[in-house]
Amino acid sequence: MVELRENEYKTLLTIEKLGGKASVEQIMNESGLPDATIMRAALTLEEKKLVEILEREQTIVCFNDEGKLHAKRGLPERLLIKALIKLGGKSSITKIVEKAKLERQFVPIALGWLRRKNWAAFDTNTNMLQLLEEPEKEGADEKLLKLLNQEGQVIGEDLSPELQSAVKMLKRRKLLEIDEKTKRIIEITEAGWKRIKKGIRVITEVTQLTPELIITGKWRKAELTKFDVTAPGPAVYPAKTHPVQQIIQRTKEIFAEMGFTEIRGPIVETAFWNFDALFQPQDHPAREMHDTFYLKYPKTGKLPKKSIVNKVAKTHENGWKTGSRGWQYSWSPEEAKKLVFRTHTTATTIRYLAEHKEPPVKVFSVDRVYRNEKMDYKSLAEFHQIEGIIMDKNVTLRDLIGTLKEFYLRLGLKKVRFWPSYFPYTEPSAQSTVYIPEFKKWFELCGMGIFRPEVLAPLGIKYPVLAWGGGLERLIMLKLGLDDIRFLYKNDLGWIRRIPTCQ
Amino acid sequence: MPVITLYKDRFSKFVGRSLTVEDMARWLPWIGSDIEEVGSDYVKIEFNPNRVDFSSYAGVARAFQGLMGWKTGLPKYVVHKGNIVLKIDESVQKVRPYMLGAVVRNMKLDEDAVREIMEMQEDLHWGVGRDRGKASIGVHNLDNVKPPFTYLAADPDEVKFVPLAKTEEMTLREILEEHEKGVAYKHLVDWSPKYPLLIDVEGKVLSMPPIINGELTRVDAETRNFFLDVTGPDLRAVKQSLNVLVTALADMGGIIESVKVKYQDKTIVSPDLTPQKMKLRRSYANELLGLRLSENKIVECMKKCRLNARKAEDGTIEVEIPAYRIDILHEVDLVEEVAIGYGYYRLRPTKPKTVTTGSFHEATRLANVVRQIMIGLGFTEVMNFILTNNDIQFRRMRRKPEKTVKIANPTSSEYNIARTSLLPSLMKNLMDNKHESFPQKIFEVSDIINVNMNTECRSERHLHVAGVSAHSTANFTEIKSTVEAFLTNLGLSRWKIKPTSNSSFIEGRVACIQLGNKNIGFLGEIYPEVLNNFELENPVCGFEINLEHLVPE
Repeated sequence: MVELRENEYKTLLTIEKLGGKASVEQIMNESGLPDATIMRAALTLEEKKLVEILEREQTIVCFNDEGKLHAKRGLPERLLIKALIKLGGKSSITKIVEKAKLERQFVPIALGWLRRKNWAAFDTNTNMLQLLEEPEKEGADEKLLKLLNQEGQVIGEDLSPELQSAVKMLKRRKLLEIDEKTKRIIEITEAGWKRIKKGIRVITEVTQLTPELIITGKWRKAELTKFDVTAPGPAVYPAKTHPVQQIIQRTKEIFAEMGFTEIRGPIVETAFWNFDALFQPQDHPAREMHDTFYLKYPKTGKLPKKSIVNKVAKTHENGWKTGSRGWQYSWSPEEAKKLVFRTHTTATTIRYLAEHKEPPVKVFSVDRVYRNEKMDYKSLAEFHQIEGIIMDKNVTLRDLIGTLKEFYLRLGLKKVRFWPSYFPYTEPSAQSTVYIPEFKKWFELCGMGIFRPEVLAPLGIKYPVLAWGGGLERLIMLKLGLDDIRFLYKNDLGWIRRIPTCQ
Repeated sequence: MPVITLYKDRFSKFVGRSLTVEDMARWLPWIGSDIEEVGSDYVKIEFNPNRVDFSSYAGVARAFQGLMGWKTGLPKYVVHKGNIVLKIDESVQKVRPYMLGAVVRNMKLDEDAVREIMEMQEDLHWGVGRDRGKASIGVHNLDNVKPPFTYLAADPDEVKFVPLAKTEEMTLREILEEHEKGVAYKHLVDWSPKYPLLIDVEGKVLSMPPIINGELTRVDAETRNFFLDVTGPDLRAVKQSLNVLVTALADMGGIIESVKVKYQDKTIVSPDLTPQKMKLRRSYANELLGLRLSENKIVECMKKCRLNARKAEDGTIEVEIPAYRIDILHEVDLVEEVAIGYGYYRLRPTKPKTVTTGSFHEATRLANVVRQIMIGLGFTEVMNFILTNNDIQFRRMRRKPEKTVKIANPTSSEYNIARTSLLPSLMKNLMDNKHESFPQKIFEVSDIINVNMNTECRSERHLHVAGVSAHSTANFTEIKSTVEAFLTNLGLSRWKIKPTSNSSFIEGRVACIQLGNKNIGFLGEIYPEVLNNFELENPVCGFEINLEHLVPE
């Protein structure tokens, strides 16, 4: 006598009841067992040669939005031909289209199909459309659309050959959505029927240990089911932090490990701190509307105390006492009052330095900044900037290179190059590239430099300030191997759930 | 940033040595340019806006020769005395007051050189001229016109000429209305009753600055003698543009000849290529760079950057800067020249002796604690932009629009205000993830921006946390339990949950969270119409708390 476990027995009985052959869905509906249980049972039954599992590919056909429209009111060529018949079988296209009330974008398609279906011909001499033959009442393609309108979806394999060819045609016309699915059907084998007749012994195995079994001690008599430990189980996903946040956190930790203190400042900032205090002239290209987000509301902010503003103004105009020639123009406080979405965290840095003039200062930020960019695969309008600052007596350009080397090393980037570059508020300035072994390529990351005297002197800062900074997302893309930067903030749960945690 | 493509053979001619592409790619970065692309016979470099003199082969070659030590010190440019007079009429005072000119004779060009001059002109328009606003250049075939020249302001409808690349005569007004350059740059002159014009002794038009030149003086490979004009409202930018261009043409083989520019009250001999003088303290350079260079070594570094330098009697180093270097404003700029002459690649890294301890900002610390608790509660973090729009932030949420920070020049209507609440962003995330398996529990801990006219920047950023749970049995009890667990784990105990009303939530299934007498947040079950607005099919419960109020008791 065959021995079966309870679920296997129940599954087999259900199939028997359903006539010896049934799909997993049918068994599910009939028995109330979950599909994973049915499949597990079916696999054991198959091993015992009582059933056979048949896999059938199924094509699920339904229409898309355009298909839906045509299904409701008729294909565009049908609308035209109806109009043409009403107009007496010969008319200009403009009139027909008007009569049919067909939207402009469907007209070329409709004309193409009129020709292809041989319903009408276009006479180039008269510019008229001529009815050729009385078109069939309902083509196969229209029958299919009608069916879809009733059923919502159909299974391709169940259709007549005529409708199957209509599926192909409408698929080419891009009116359908087609989904391939595997359908599992379980059928009792001949041997299975014989065995059922001979009788089956159901063994009561315990699948789930219960408090009752444990407390009463009944578990000692029960037979605990041996599971197929290799069988796939349902997926679970851990709750976790966002991948970008993981790298932000690691970056912040590196700064803190290196003795830097985190600072935080306004995101909506005055142009004064974002640009003027950093010696960026008021006609600098970076300040233009196409680079910076200005505010419609509120429009302007407050300038800091007069003594600071005056010194900054004079430094722009003629260098003030900084030893510089300045930018030689007339500085406007109105321009400086304008509010912007900060374009760099350096706005926060310079605010902080203006308040903390005693050395040493070692601060950092990893925070949001904004550029007026059209979002595409390589740029965002809102992103994160990394910035590190050291102000102390006797710090040097070589110290800056050394610090940045250490910073990169802690990010796992060993090969680094530095070469001369330009930033409006640093001098000397440098650019750095790092070698990423996975890509076998050098990538530009952080820019760096020593703040210009024209930046420091008006704020009363007496010691050199080393600074470096760069976009964080670029680094993240390299680390995660992504090629579209927008994906980082799409919050695709599938991605977040499955991506390994940053280490 | 501007780029220039340097073909190996042509660049070798300017440098005076036969170079390989590899040599170029290896050494060009050290003069301060980024390698964009290396081809089989060219190197494309991007140069920084401070070095517009790199907009020509000649300019890059000068720096390259210096760095390699093949030619060092100040490049010499002789300005021959010329007789051509350029008269500046008083009428331009109000529209575009300054013009300087120069003559360059004996040029022998090929097509590449003509193209290069045009590109250099565009780079100067961008880098120095601020898109022609501060200065713009005209390059003319001198032999097609007769000096003396006059720069004046003319009536828009009275003068006609054939603009560059056209065959028909057009009036100045027609040019502004119809010519592509006229349309692009009309804002620079159309506010004035009269437009700037440069004409010769017979009244023939050389150009209509800063819009377009005349076809008459078009330059091509046959042109031998050039007349250059630069106009603008900013004399400094005008002079800089002219100097960069003239020196590059001289390096291409031309002979520079001066022009007498006659203003009402003075006559300027142009171009003026006198080197600028500046002093550099050895100690200042060494302190900033972290080097111990002798005066002689510093002089050598400067010469490699094509500057002249010598020890002065007062112990400093006196530096002469060529007229095409428009980027030297301060002694500190000379320090960078020392570093470039010394070679950035030779700067060995050192560690600063500054000793400090590091720490996170309070907001980071708090956000990290919040993350830990929320993850423990089974919520996954999402990150959204602060920038959003009224539709997501208010309409779909059935919220009454509040005062928000608004962008004046948004690139897309999707991002034109700053969010004042996180919850709408999370609803949008649910909408974008309908295909993913349920339950979906997500949270965000990040900033919102509120308008506050009493602050310096008329706004404040606040750290918030919000969470939503979406699945077939999501309800008020679930989110209340979640919020209570969250607050308890934050170390709080005296909060109160009180009934409230909120149009995003179901009436009677929404509450506010109070701490002391402050409202710190809300929680509840989302109103079905809001679910419809976000195309959601499962019930959703959610909460949002302003963390600024949550200093642990």
